[in-house]
Amino acid sequence: MLKDFLEGKPLRHPLHPMLVHFPIGLFLLSLLLDLASLAFPSVPNLVRDSFYAMLLGVITTLIAAVPGVVDYTDIRSDHPAKRTATTHLTLNLIVVALYGINLGVRSSSLVDPKISFGPLILSLVGVGLLSVSGYLGGRLVYDAGISVGRHKRRTPTPESTLHLFMANLASNENSDVIFVPIPEADRLGERETLRVEIDGQVITIAKIDQGFYAFQEFCTHRFGPLSEGTFKDFNVQCPWHNSCFDVRTGKVTQGPAKVDLKTFTIEIRDGKVAVGLPRAAATHDQKA
Amino acid sequence: MKWSLDLLKGKWLKHPLHPIIVHVPMAMWPSALIFDLLSQWQIGGNAMVRLSFYAIIFGLVVSLLAVPTGVLDWSGIKKEKPAWKIGLYHMMLNLIAVLLFAINFGLRMQDFREATTVARIPLGLSFIGTGLLIGSAYLGGRMVYTYGISVARMSKAKWRKIAEAGGANLPPE
Repeated sequence: MLKDFLEGKPLRHPLHPMLVHFPIGLFLLSLLLDLASLAFPSVPNLVRDSFYAMLLGVITTLIAAVPGVVDYTDIRSDHPAKRTATTHLTLNLIVVALYGINLGVRSSSLVDPKISFGPLILSLVGVGLLSVSGYLGGRLVYDAGISVGRHKRRTPTPESTLHLFMANLASNENSDVIFVPIPEADRLGERETLRVEIDGQVITIAKIDQGFYAFQEFCTHRFGPLSEGTFKDFNVQCPWHNSCFDVRTGKVTQGPAKVDLKTFTIEIRDGKVAVGLPRAAATHDQKA
Repeated sequence: MKWSLDLLKGKWLKHPLHPIIVHVPMAMWPSALIFDLLSQWQIGGNAMVRLSFYAIIFGLVVSLLAVPTGVLDWSGIKKEKPAWKIGLYHMMLNLIAVLLFAINFGLRMQDFREATTVARIPLGLSFIGTGLLIGSAYLGGRMVYTYGISVARMSKAKWRKIAEAGGANLPPE
């Protein structure tokens, strides 16, 4: 419940990217006022004004950090952007520490007409690091689609990818399709998903209306993660640009995607959910 | 001309420019309202009145940069998409907010150095302007987080490779 709130689900908009406007803008304003105090020492109180802007910046930073951490923990552990997110988080911690020190250093000299060297350097470094960190945060959204469409999903998203291999199963089967048991599938709740990689093939397994469906993980439009999508009847909707596909056939039911998904057969074998993959893929991978 | 469009779209940065630039007005104008409200209790003597003034002017200058980048991002959306209409409302609300803060700025120029409280009319303008801005920014956020505007636009090739390695059906290049 609290997690949903902090992820902005009731608002249908993530909270962290909303709140971060404040520290970014206010720390910039503070630096500008510092520079103005050097350029126009006759203008009174610029140093004091810079301090207040910074103070509000630090307060809003601490507020923005809370949903930020929640957003961070929600990124799949093996997501290619997880490292970027870790760097973003680490830089922000450094920035807030620097501004904490900065506030302390300048609090005793608020009546100075010009900002002194130490706190000015701290502000310059702070804005520099914040710019890099903010840029990385933006890349998380615009490059990796983190938080995009997430508010539409009401069930938890996969925490990591399950890696499975066909090699040891191939010899036991005579047909062209090899069924790979999925160990965690029976623990899935309604409209929950698993992200599975079998010999390089990345597959989403979804439980809908007590049945299991397997289809390719990547949307055929801009390759958004369907394991983080939402389900309407037997349709999966991509979190990024809202393309819809029928999970039973893989057919596009709503654009912008134009190409159908690859789907995979599911069978229950010895009480275990198993996904069928063509043998060709297995032998190919064994050679490679 | 293409280079200038690419510059405004942020291709060189691998990040759209509009959402970066808007941080400044989006932070400054609600902050101006906060300073206006704090000035009602005359906190910091004249400091809150001054800060609010500086915040408004900083926001105004930077908002001028946000206009061309925003219009360009919007012009790339197909008219039949829901995001196009949202973008139109977003733009109109922003225009009103900019105008309100420009008037607001004009009203404060005379006495921001001496006044210890912000007068009623500029305070009211800050209220309305901030309200409109928050509504508008929410719409802007919806364009990104619900409709995926600018998402994976510049990283399409990278994701295509990942999807290809993952054995996915792909669209023709």
